[in-house]
Amino acid sequence: MSSSALIAVAAQLGGVALAPLLPGLVQTAKARLQGRRGPSPLQPYRTLRRLWSKSSVAPAGTGAVYRVAPPLIAACMLIALALVPIAGRGPDLGVGHDALVLVGMLALARFAAAAAAWDTGNGFALMGAARDAMIAVFGEALLVLALLVAALPARSTDLRSMAAAAAGGHVWGQAAHWCGAIAFLLVVLVETGRQPIDNPDTHLELTMIHEGPLLEYAGRDLAYLQWAAAARHWVMLVLGAQLFLPHPAGFAGALAALVVAGLAQCLGLAVIETAQAKMRVLRVPALLGLGCAVALAGVATAIAGLAA
Amino acid sequence: MTLLRPVAARAWRAAVSEAIERRGERFGGAWATRDGGWRAVMLAGDEAVVLCCDAEDGRVDSIVDIAAAALWDEREAHDLHGLGFIGHDPLRPLIEHTAELERWVTPVSGEGVHQVAVGPIHAGVIESGHFRFHVVGERILALDTRLFHKHRGLERAAEGLAPDDALKHAGRACAACAVANTVAYAQAVEDATGLWPSADLRRQRTVLLELERLYNHLHDIGAICAGVGFAPGSMAFAALKDRAQELNAQAFGHRFLFGTVAIGGIPVALDPPAAGALRGALRELRADALAGWRDLTFAASMQARLDGVGVLELEDALRMGVVGPAARASGVPLDARVGNRRLVYGGLRPASPPAATGDVAARLRIRALELEATCDMLDELLSLPLARDGASPGRERSPVGVGRVESPRGETVCTVELVAARVARMHLRSASYANWPAVARATAGNLLPDFPLINKSFELCYACADR
Repeated sequence: MSSSALIAVAAQLGGVALAPLLPGLVQTAKARLQGRRGPSPLQPYRTLRRLWSKSSVAPAGTGAVYRVAPPLIAACMLIALALVPIAGRGPDLGVGHDALVLVGMLALARFAAAAAAWDTGNGFALMGAARDAMIAVFGEALLVLALLVAALPARSTDLRSMAAAAAGGHVWGQAAHWCGAIAFLLVVLVETGRQPIDNPDTHLELTMIHEGPLLEYAGRDLAYLQWAAAARHWVMLVLGAQLFLPHPAGFAGALAALVVAGLAQCLGLAVIETAQAKMRVLRVPALLGLGCAVALAGVATAIAGLAA
Repeated sequence: MTLLRPVAARAWRAAVSEAIERRGERFGGAWATRDGGWRAVMLAGDEAVVLCCDAEDGRVDSIVDIAAAALWDEREAHDLHGLGFIGHDPLRPLIEHTAELERWVTPVSGEGVHQVAVGPIHAGVIESGHFRFHVVGERILALDTRLFHKHRGLERAAEGLAPDDALKHAGRACAACAVANTVAYAQAVEDATGLWPSADLRRQRTVLLELERLYNHLHDIGAICAGVGFAPGSMAFAALKDRAQELNAQAFGHRFLFGTVAIGGIPVALDPPAAGALRGALRELRADALAGWRDLTFAASMQARLDGVGVLELEDALRMGVVGPAARASGVPLDARVGNRRLVYGGLRPASPPAATGDVAARLRIRALELEATCDMLDELLSLPLARDGASPGRERSPVGVGRVESPRGETVCTVELVAARVARMHLRSASYANWPAVARATAGNLLPDFPLINKSFELCYACADR
């Protein structure tokens, strides 16, 4: 095993530990942009430590679906982390690196959250899960299309090949790549649950989307779910950096580019969330539909490019 | 002086109907007394008339079909004093919370209709209120509100006290409306005891009322920004509100202006340097608030959330007796400050938005307009220092006095009955109490996630209503 492969394994395992840093960085940057001091970027770790040391409680009448959901969602995100290569390299952890498997893992996590909401029968949990499902109808299509734009030049859905195909400067001369980047930006906003799609800071139960299904959970269960939400940030931002942001082909250069792109994306999310109010919930499908149209244009031009 | 007009129980509906339809008076609140009396105050211009009758067998005729604004007053009198209302059917409980769901909730049925219950405990720093939505998907068909979770019995506790002592009860009804409520109470007592405020006292009270409006309107604009998740706006206006409250503390020793109102006098003075300093600071605040408002008008993502949401039609606003910025945003040219001779509002006209659409956007814009007018008024009023000067006797006394003040949320009416220089009955009908039913009306037909925004565009007090 070469040293770069070792570093990739370390980085991939590091993702498990580093994921909570991303929402922490976004929160800190957002607070600064809004003229507040805000919490430290390490705050998510403190929250996880506090939650981990508490016992879990379950509402009366809930069954196995409710109890299994948090570890299942965390497991889905763990596999998703293993699927995503770091700087174009990915060790063989037995799950491969297929983009469509990643889509499936994200969908399974979403399904588990919705099923658990159904199990509790809590109005806010169900409302949040229903909105999440509605947005997912468009969001998942958008995710698949955006990945397809990146997969076509690589002629493979292996994320490592896709990252390699997106390396270097020549891809920026292709219209398809730009279309994919725009579509993927929307995917990032949907999957990380950020404004203008969802407001992660809200305490207003009636407006909640991703927070809703979490309302009943406490202690260790909530720690699983919060880590999973952070892991979603990690997966999306790492993927965005490797598929749709500039990076060189070599491992060391790609790793450095990944770090820079990760930080830049955190800042970007903070800027978007500060500058944009939350959208009316029924307008979200229209925005995502527009994203799908852009992605489809990207797919069409990519296919035309391949044919020529 | 205010007239007390006794009416036979049998003629109650006719008397109210004549006042409203023939003389064009407005319903300004109704309340029961402990000895089975039932009163209603009718407002006409700057004058007020209190109609009173004695219930027969604990029942009186309902007037909700003549004056829809009396809906909550009758429900409250039934719950607190056991009064029955003939023709008010179903008479749903308002303050009594022991009733089963079917008795207090609007019956709504149909395919896919279900209820969503929120509160009374919320996930933020919000007062206790229970909201029950009847929804199909995300669409709200009807809303039932159940407030009154922290009823303190302030009115009952004030009974039998000397008027000066009962002032505290009016003041503690609500912090954000403390000045409006105490000035209304003080004016009611002065009305009953034949006192007339001096020019200085009128000016002092106007300054205090406008300072209260200033920080409340700043807060309300910020709250609407928070309702759509627009953090720069909510942060900027929260900071401006805090500056306004700090100015209150520097000038009058209290951020909520507690302890600045007394009957027949004023316990605080402002010498020329202090008045000048306050005036200068307010000018800076005005400039910054206008700059903040300009920023909001260019925030497209926020503006996109406001139009056509939570519409309160003009017809409904008139019928339900809605007051304050909410009424003006729907096109009702009503402002209790206009023509108020016990305060200094010469030449003021009710603010009217460019388009009285009655939606969240109109309610937001009217506050920005009034904010500017308030700053201009304060600038003029503070050109002279504030002296401690009282009220002069000499007017005719009356058994009942009425005080009317435009609080930041609208017209607050306080009525005081005095017997042997003691408070026999104090009734505080705040603007929030008058406007709460309109929130439910404006909510119907909207989307569930838009409710917090609609609610914040009214920004009513829970404490003011549940005194």
